Amino acid sequence: MTHFFRRFPGFIVGSVILLGTLLFSVLAPLVTDTSLEAVASAPPSLAPSGLYLLGTDAQGRDMLSVLALSIVPTLKIGVIAGLVGICIGLTLGLLSGFFGGPLDAMVILVADSLMTVPSIAILIIISTKVEDVSVELMGLIVALLAWMGPTRTIRAQVLSSRERAYTAVARANGSSELAVLFREVLPNLLPFVAASFVSSVSGAILASVGLEALGLGAQNVHTLGNTIYWARRYSAVLRGQWWWYGPPILVISLIFIALFLLSASLDQIANPAMTRQAARKRRKKQGGGDLSISSDAPSAIINTDTVVSVRDLRVVFKTNRGTTGAAVDGVSFSLNRGECMGLVGESGCGKTTLAMAMMSLIRPPGQITSGGVFLGTLEGSGSAHNPISSNKRWAEQNILELDEHHMRRIRLKGISLVPQAAMNSLNPVMRVHDQIADAINAHQHKTSRIGLKTMIEEALTSVGLPVTVANRFPHQLSGGMKQRVAMCIATVLRPQLIIADEPTSALDVVMQRQVMLTLRKVQKHLNAAMILIGHDMGFIAQASDSIGVLYAGQLVERGPTAAVLEAPRHPYTHLLSESLPGLDARKPLSGIPGLPPELFNLPSGCRFHPRCPYAFDRCITETPAMQLIGTFRYVACHLYPKHSSLPVRPANKPDAAGDMKHTINFATSATH
Amino acid sequence: MTIKYVFDRTIQLVLVIFIAMTVNFILPRVIPGDPVEAFLRSKMATSGGTVTFDIAKVGEEYRRKFGFDKPIWLQYAHYWNDVIHLELGVSLIHFPSKVSDQILNALPWTMGLLTASVIIAFVAGSVAGALLAWPQTPTWFTAALSPVMLLSTVPAFLLAIIMLWVFAADLRWFPGGGGFSSTHILRWNLASVRNIMYHAILPAGALVLSSLGGWALGMRALAISVLGEDYIMFAEAKGLPSRRIFLWYGMRNAMLPQVTALALTLGSVISGTVLVEAMFGYPGIGSLLFNAIATKDYFVIQGIVLMLILSLGSALFVIDMVYPLLDPRIRYN
Repeated sequence: MTHFFRRFPGFIVGSVILLGTLLFSVLAPLVTDTSLEAVASAPPSLAPSGLYLLGTDAQGRDMLSVLALSIVPTLKIGVIAGLVGICIGLTLGLLSGFFGGPLDAMVILVADSLMTVPSIAILIIISTKVEDVSVELMGLIVALLAWMGPTRTIRAQVLSSRERAYTAVARANGSSELAVLFREVLPNLLPFVAASFVSSVSGAILASVGLEALGLGAQNVHTLGNTIYWARRYSAVLRGQWWWYGPPILVISLIFIALFLLSASLDQIANPAMTRQAARKRRKKQGGGDLSISSDAPSAIINTDTVVSVRDLRVVFKTNRGTTGAAVDGVSFSLNRGECMGLVGESGCGKTTLAMAMMSLIRPPGQITSGGVFLGTLEGSGSAHNPISSNKRWAEQNILELDEHHMRRIRLKGISLVPQAAMNSLNPVMRVHDQIADAINAHQHKTSRIGLKTMIEEALTSVGLPVTVANRFPHQLSGGMKQRVAMCIATVLRPQLIIADEPTSALDVVMQRQVMLTLRKVQKHLNAAMILIGHDMGFIAQASDSIGVLYAGQLVERGPTAAVLEAPRHPYTHLLSESLPGLDARKPLSGIPGLPPELFNLPSGCRFHPRCPYAFDRCITETPAMQLIGTFRYVACHLYPKHSSLPVRPANKPDAAGDMKHTINFATSATH
Repeated sequence: MTIKYVFDRTIQLVLVIFIAMTVNFILPRVIPGDPVEAFLRSKMATSGGTVTFDIAKVGEEYRRKFGFDKPIWLQYAHYWNDVIHLELGVSLIHFPSKVSDQILNALPWTMGLLTASVIIAFVAGSVAGALLAWPQTPTWFTAALSPVMLLSTVPAFLLAIIMLWVFAADLRWFPGGGGFSSTHILRWNLASVRNIMYHAILPAGALVLSSLGGWALGMRALAISVLGEDYIMFAEAKGLPSRRIFLWYGMRNAMLPQVTALALTLGSVISGTVLVEAMFGYPGIGSLLFNAIATKDYFVIQGIVLMLILSLGSALFVIDMVYPLLDPRIRYN
């Protein structure tokens, strides 16, 4: 319960204010004598003093009593209008959204037309004609124009939930349309109904106070708006009799603030994404030198061919409740010029997080807590290409420690990203050549227009796109073309490292191959290193030179593609490649039993041990470190270096092959 | 933007105006209460109360003059005839001054005030809202903007009263109402312009301050959702400077729904202006309406409503035409 209050403070504050005003209107009459006849005998136009805490008006009425008496009728008008508006809105919205057709068209047409008329105009006409306006009638009149908002909101929600999976499931189960309406759609509408109600009330009070201030309000009743009207009639403003119109305005404002807070928090309840975005906004400065790199973190052989070296990279995520989990936990590897490393792993193992971390694009609630990324200089590639400084040797500069300004210079020029779904990665309102020019101008100032044009055309041609694409908008291109545009942007400045985050996952198989071939061609031409992220092992096997296998945020195996796939050393890799269906032999599909561990509830020791058929007691207690077991073969597993390759898989019998001490039954090893 | 698009929108405009005008015709006639009766009664009350004529007969004459005695369909036909000729009738109070004359006199004042305040509030509010959503905005900006956002919960006409009290009655920095000084003769010169500006500052200020917060909040919500989009992340991965991403990738995309919001709330923007003018006695449509209501000058009221409907419809049409220029996805459909 307190959790709710902490997350939605607006709800509490708004309710408190409203209840406070109501309380005032109930209590104040107990303190003062409120019958209007009695108070009307006070001396007129008195400033606030002893007996009359808020002074009196021109007719001798005690303003405190008048204020207290006028709150309830004003709120009443709002509530009546809100209720009527919600009833009409619910009915029309549900019917028109759910059944569609001519009913829907008519409802929308009427709502749109009424929206064209300034509401105040209609209200004025009605109020002018009706003689004796009572509070209830006022509420109804104002409700006439309050039904359109709720109708549209509810209709929109109904339309979107119609298409959602849970209604489809209900229909597939044989429920009638009406049953679906009541059981599936209606309950999900509740937060929207509540939010619409509050904003209807707010709009109704606004309209009624406006009408009353013009003199068209309920007669013979004290409302907040009427008080203001009379104040104006008696020139109280220009005479400085602030006690007459000031308090009503204050109370009206308080009511509006309260209603606004209520509706804002109801909006947040209805749409939780809003609060999460606010949390993401609290961004801390990245970097700052407190990135400790463990000195015995294994990394690859450092030579002049190394383009990038990642050492002991660690990215953690914090939850609202304070727990932290490491999405990337101590990953180290390095890449040489021209090498393409395929990074494979299950969904959620941290591949994209690793890619983002390398470009220092991690946003809260994620944070890079330790580790380093070191970029090499591309000697002999024709350009002195150190984006940081030509003085520093590459081995000494951890780009994660750079400030945002320098990091920005490295992005795209040193490390570039080919995003996953290019359909969403291109700015929809900018032409293609503008988006490429953007990138070029951000890194190379003062390129001439002709130079720019040439660069863009060359870049487009290199990815296999016709030059006419430059003038188009993204929505005019097909999926494959958009992906190539993204590739083109990522390679136009000849980066050292290209990170391709599942660049072809959103495309069909034929396109996948073509786009991948183009990407490889460009990479070879630039002699750049590439990280190819994906979970289609077969596809990545074809496209990459080496492979890194990621499991639960840790690198478990690394080596040349062919070697790793033909003779995998880590049990996980072995099971992965076993699960790939082959074209030659027909065998039953096998997967890997169990599920990847939860980020915040990781197993002790080796993270794979609950699912590993080779697990023994050391695996539960000790996390295996990455070790070199051959030429450019790394594996993180306790089976090595004792074994030279994966033993024959033990059955649930104690006579496992090799020198293993005991075999723990698979069923009992999952003790979490 | 195809011919079909323009044609569709035009047909929509005509249809919507037709329905709105019909409602404008039907509504007063459906609600009980007779304007002529009320008018006569008020005239009697103000003239001392002695009755020297047959009220019913005079009422009949008025009704015949204003066409209330004819069958309803004939009235409807006459209504449309009048509308097309922009013949809005004559004012009951300021007889025989024509309603259209009165409106045309008041219109420029309202147009000036309205366009100026809407443009200022919309642009300033949208930029402020986008900045509120941008993570790199300095905190002092957010803190400074909060009181302004709070002001937006106060309706414009009430804010007008407060401003009148503070700036006109108390501090006497600005005049307490009117469009120009009563002693000043309006000419086409700088002195007149300055005089008009001086009088317009408080009403415009009330309008701008009360709507700024609304625009800012709406834009903030839109900008937050735009900033979560993939193309913003890709723009950062391209190494673009923050300002460029904010303006050309963030705001440029968030403006589209914001302009739609402007179109949808134009009706209430106009209502707010009308009420503020009434508070200030600014010689625009607002004051005209206020006085017409107070004196129950029925035809003036109806004429003003008509004009408001037409202008709102046209404004929406214009925004519909502008929208394809902003969003290429609509332009090249």
